[in-house]
Amino acid sequence: MGALYEVLRQFIIGLADQGIIHYTFSYTFVANGFLCALVIGPLLGGIGTMVVIKRMAFFSQAIGNAALTGVAIGVIVGESYTAPYFSMFSFCILFALFLNFSKNRTKMSSDTLIGVFLSISLAIGATTLLWVSARVNTHILDTVMFGSILTVNDTDMSVLLATAVITALVALPLYNQMLLASLNPSLAHVRGINVHLLEYVFVLLVTILTVACVKIVGAVLVEALLLIPAAAARNLNRTIRGFVTWSIIFSTASCLFGIYAPMRWDLPLPSGGAIILTAAMIFLATMIIRMALPRYREASV
Amino acid sequence: MENKRGIQGPSIEFDNVNLTLGNTHILQDINFTIRTGEIHCLVGANGGGKTSLIRSMLGQMPHTGNITINWHDNTTVGYVPQTLEFDKTLPVTVIDFMGMTCQRRPVFFGIERSRREQIDEVLERVGLGGKSKTKLGSLSGGERQRVLFAQALIPKPALLVLDEPMTGLDLEGREILERSIVAFTRAGGTAIWINHDIAQVHNIAQTLTYIDRKVLLEGDPRQVLTSGIAAQLFPSLDLLSAATAEVPG
Repeated sequence: MGALYEVLRQFIIGLADQGIIHYTFSYTFVANGFLCALVIGPLLGGIGTMVVIKRMAFFSQAIGNAALTGVAIGVIVGESYTAPYFSMFSFCILFALFLNFSKNRTKMSSDTLIGVFLSISLAIGATTLLWVSARVNTHILDTVMFGSILTVNDTDMSVLLATAVITALVALPLYNQMLLASLNPSLAHVRGINVHLLEYVFVLLVTILTVACVKIVGAVLVEALLLIPAAAARNLNRTIRGFVTWSIIFSTASCLFGIYAPMRWDLPLPSGGAIILTAAMIFLATMIIRMALPRYREASV
Repeated sequence: MENKRGIQGPSIEFDNVNLTLGNTHILQDINFTIRTGEIHCLVGANGGGKTSLIRSMLGQMPHTGNITINWHDNTTVGYVPQTLEFDKTLPVTVIDFMGMTCQRRPVFFGIERSRREQIDEVLERVGLGGKSKTKLGSLSGGERQRVLFAQALIPKPALLVLDEPMTGLDLEGREILERSIVAFTRAGGTAIWINHDIAQVHNIAQTLTYIDRKVLLEGDPRQVLTSGIAAQLFPSLDLLSAATAEVPG
């Protein structure tokens, strides 16, 4: 894969050298960030539509917080603190499975249970990570929460790409079934859909997606990118096609512009923050359009 | 193999079916049979266990006893749920909903050509031909019921399971659904239908079962509805007007 990344990097660096894009893209780390954004944007934008439909916006945040504990465990068992993927994936998958199992067993509403697990995961994660950070003398907490898209390496890109491929291969054929299961589980069951299994599959997809993106964009940004572009697309669209297409466009545009703009105009903004702010501006614009145009008018109560 | 009439619906046997959830006995010793090609109506007061019985039959409830569905070649169930509980602001159109129920290709890639004709045809049949691009949340309750009925017709079912499909329907909608269900069973399909309209049950059902946790009444509605126990179960029923109402086409 290293050779493929190198070809793509050289292409971006070539564009920068020719003056087509800003000169800062001739730095390898900026080109890496740009490539990651091209994968993360469509991936989170697409899956985000299902997250919004299933009302699981805070689930990825709970997983992101669980990643804190995953990193801490990784450091304890001797993994590199910059990429403890084995521990992060293992712990977060167990955490997600337990959360979903609890939801099915207790029949509590998703938002309540996710809220409880979110608080627990943050408390455990922050505590263990701060304890471990003191031992390795570094600020891992900030990195996990806010990521560092400009410090990604080939391993991070490979993990991201593998996750993107798995997500696409699993989610695309199951998209209709997931949609129907969230609209009417009983009807979905009669149609031969294993509603509970599908729920676990979706939870696992969001989990591996979140973990793969945590190192690159951070837990906070994953949640924002799953939610904001889909919410913006929902403001303006009446069809599933429009919803998914515009969510992907908004998400990808936010990622690319969020990386490009601070460098192009020397803005004192970290790339993660700029990505969220771009997505937020798009959301605000769609909200204003929705409020202003009569075609979007609906019953007020 | 389909019979001369087009479809061969299953017969269904409920044998000593019981359902307990927590400490509540929802269903108690339910025994009755539904024959191939008939409209069988489940009637009874709210909370009597009709929907639970249907959901037990569909494998969605932890019941005891046996529910045997004697299928022929076609084992497709067309299910019309009571309502579609969903966020009405969701960007899902009627055609999106129809597509997600009957095709594998993600609906955001469009409707498969082979399905398009079927979907147009069933929407036309329920009187929603011009509303395929309307947002599901913008439809009236009755129109949504018609969409739910339309999806149950693809692929062609052998058994129709209808959980109060007439809820919220206007007169035109009621007639369309009634005609479709009668035509379906005349073609050989079997229909099990939760129905509160006793006049309608009297006119078009071949058999009925009154359930209030137990089976209280069972048989041909034209016979059982004139019995003494029926008068107790349906005190407000005007059986005479029910008996003289016309059977739809």
